[in-house]
Amino acid sequence: MAAKPEAPLSIIGRRQPRLDGFEKVSGRSEFTDDIRLPGMLHGKVLRSTQAHARILRIDTSRAEALPGVKAVVTNRDAPTLMFSEHQPVLAADRVRYIGEEIAAVAAIDLLTAEEALDLIEVEYESLPAVTTIRQALKSGSAPMHERAPDNIGPTMEKDWGDPDQGFAESDLVIEDEFRTPMQHNTLAELHVALADFSNPAKLHMYTPTQGAPLYQMELAKAFCLAESQVRIVYRNIGGAFTGRGRPKPHHFIAALLSRKAGKPVKIKATADEEFIMFRASGETFYKFRTGVTRDGVIKALEADITFDAGGHDEWAMILWLPSVYLNWLYKPVGVRYRGRFVFTNTVPKGSHHGGIMGRMSAGWQQHINHVAEAIGMDPAELQLKNAVDPGYASPDGSVFASCGLQDCIRTVVERSDWKNKYGKLPKYRGIGIGIGAQASGSKGADNDTSAAMVKVADDGIVTLYTGIPDMGQGSHTVMCMIAAEVLGTQPEDIRVVQGDSDITPFDWGAFSQRGTFTTGNAVKAACEDARDQLAAIAAAELDTPAGELVFRDGRVFAAASPEQSLSFGEVAAKTLHSAEGRFVMGRGFFNSPKPFGALAFSFGAQVAEVEVDPVTGAVALLKVWAAHDIGRVINQLAVEGQIDGQVFSGMSQVLYEECRVEDGLILNPSRLEYKLPRAYELPDVDYTLIETIDPYGPFGAKEVGEGPIVVSMSAVAAAVQNAVGAMVPEIPMTPWRVLRMLRGTADGSTSVDKHWSEGLEAPLSDTKS
Amino acid sequence: MNTVAKRQVMSLTVNGDTYEVLVSPRQTLLDVIRGPIGLRGTKEGCATGTCGVCTINNEQGEALLSCLTPALEWDGKSVTTVEGLEADGELAPIQQAFVEFGAVQCGFCTPGVIMSAQGLLNSFHKPSEDDINDGMAGVLCRCTGHIKVKDAIRDVVKKRA
Repeated sequence: MAAKPEAPLSIIGRRQPRLDGFEKVSGRSEFTDDIRLPGMLHGKVLRSTQAHARILRIDTSRAEALPGVKAVVTNRDAPTLMFSEHQPVLAADRVRYIGEEIAAVAAIDLLTAEEALDLIEVEYESLPAVTTIRQALKSGSAPMHERAPDNIGPTMEKDWGDPDQGFAESDLVIEDEFRTPMQHNTLAELHVALADFSNPAKLHMYTPTQGAPLYQMELAKAFCLAESQVRIVYRNIGGAFTGRGRPKPHHFIAALLSRKAGKPVKIKATADEEFIMFRASGETFYKFRTGVTRDGVIKALEADITFDAGGHDEWAMILWLPSVYLNWLYKPVGVRYRGRFVFTNTVPKGSHHGGIMGRMSAGWQQHINHVAEAIGMDPAELQLKNAVDPGYASPDGSVFASCGLQDCIRTVVERSDWKNKYGKLPKYRGIGIGIGAQASGSKGADNDTSAAMVKVADDGIVTLYTGIPDMGQGSHTVMCMIAAEVLGTQPEDIRVVQGDSDITPFDWGAFSQRGTFTTGNAVKAACEDARDQLAAIAAAELDTPAGELVFRDGRVFAAASPEQSLSFGEVAAKTLHSAEGRFVMGRGFFNSPKPFGALAFSFGAQVAEVEVDPVTGAVALLKVWAAHDIGRVINQLAVEGQIDGQVFSGMSQVLYEECRVEDGLILNPSRLEYKLPRAYELPDVDYTLIETIDPYGPFGAKEVGEGPIVVSMSAVAAAVQNAVGAMVPEIPMTPWRVLRMLRGTADGSTSVDKHWSEGLEAPLSDTKS
Repeated sequence: MNTVAKRQVMSLTVNGDTYEVLVSPRQTLLDVIRGPIGLRGTKEGCATGTCGVCTINNEQGEALLSCLTPALEWDGKSVTTVEGLEADGELAPIQQAFVEFGAVQCGFCTPGVIMSAQGLLNSFHKPSEDDINDGMAGVLCRCTGHIKVKDAIRDVVKKRA
């Protein structure tokens, strides 16, 4: 697909308020919990109170006898119903984490369901539990799975290019270690599933989701149904942040209860249950090694990462995601990645906003700054010198057809007055630069496709059928803008039909930052198809070749004679009511020609300035300067909103968020004790958008959904590092940790220079050999 | 069938309309507004008073966490929910500003954020930056980082005579 010059754009690039804004601000928007199906029951899940135990006996008889209870299920009801290869939906004879699903109840109301849970008796035989990476790797620790006698789960080892050669060419090799804790993404809308499996030939699943296909596939497989027998329905979605990528155990349990009771069953998380159901990011240890020459050429990059997988390895992508990321910023001779999962008796892990890379970057950026310091170079200069540029082919096979990274760095350096601040700020002030890249729709499956359909009514109103969920990111408004641009109408004249897998065409969904790029291309193609159908009639009416017609501002005319025109509505009416009675129905789809990885990448740089309180250790984030290359900007207002939200989430992860875990129990499962920034803690954000026009993106657009957070986390961490004068070896950088850092750097003690792998009998760099 | 304490009839005025409802002592204002009254614009977030998503306004127009308020204590009183801000088919200024400034993303917290903002605007004619920060500290928005929320509030304040 070659870059084609586009006519001047009339819609794309606007500050377009959300088209569903009226419904959302007036209380008219329906979310899953607002749906009431006739005869609906309420489900509750009985969860393990033990981190590791054998289940000796489950007695549900008293719960079953409670009036109002309509179904009770345990593993005996569905011994072959699997959540993943080694993991039944309901625990059979062993539990491996606190909160593991053991039984469930459906009753006429929530109070009855809760009462019934209390009547279920479970007899456990406790087993020794390992609840941290360190415990799990100690030789002699009880294995959690027979298939992993040393508690090491899946591993990945990969070299790109020649890292040994790169290290050999380096004058200096710098090493650092870093740790991120268990962190959980507090979604506004807690997890909820409403299943109607009253008819065993069709499962209706109402649930917020990032994409129907994975839910459909996994539920169909588990219940031995064809995919057409599973219908996924979603309305508005209260955020996702990687947390709704695939079905979770409660979806299967709601379906199972509904099948048994013959009624719809809703399961909704409570505030503390949400910390189990979400599948957060687990504790992670990182070792970074970088080889550099004296004059600042980065030659080799290495990362070795140990992930706490929890009780089961549910989300294998965690292993792979950071590995490719190492290839996207600099131009080393080689890259080396080692990653491994370690099983612990904690809740299975998923991902956090920023998709592993954000958390990693909070350490990696500090490590790169350490490299810069070691060779006496300004970190902004080091990164600019090594930054990838347009046309660069990275060792992992990614090609950056459009790339504005260097411009992003130059922009934030200039706008933040970096050169007058770096190294020159008063004590306890710090400034840091972070950079990052993100794939626009990284392809992980052959059917990573988006399809779209449009129909045109005889008044010119267009209906767009799409399977891309809008979890708040504003995709539907963006799709309407793309459609309106192609058809020469207004975004308000496009109606979106979405949220029902029985109706909408296939769309892999809203993850891997693929909405604008992949679905956007599909919507553009569908609208072009519809436009061609309309152009056939308009060409005859205007006595002009169809190829010379322009659709713009609600009119259709020949480029050479704009004074003679038809309205879009007239063309639609004439087409629909022509002698042939043509129904205008456009279809389009997009599937990247690349078998693996992404076609387009966004880039960004941010500078953050912080002030550390030397008495309390509290960090105030004063200001963020952000510059992002996201290709063509489709909706300026939405883009700023995406950057804002990622600055918020990035500072939150770097400065505040941490699940305090003791013996496998999360001690702070609440939104007060699990600290998030409140309105008064947010900095001013200065935005610059570097518009590279990507040859593959719709109108040249790329993603903005998860690129900025990686950059924010890097910049905030770097700024704190600069303020305290040393690499902060873990997040969150809480007041207590910052105080310890300040004291450690003041008296020269090494107590803060912690090495996470120290004392582990199985060294972190050794995988199963 | 649960065996909790006896239900009582109570009267609650929501957005100017009075409803007679049968309520158990365990039910909160949020349960009653979303349940028997059926106004589901107000959302249930954490249901433990930590996220502010369920915020409504009391008779004095102040922000109130409906998930922590036992319904029966509100017998005979009146509240305003997000559905009650429109007048003559027009959105309230704060609602319009939320749309215009992009202060809405996923929209789940939006009713609570708007009712917090409205509570602030009811209490202060010209709230200062500190008043805004204090007034919005009780509600969490995961998507917007509150940045454009504050822009929207400032705009409403600016336009006040």
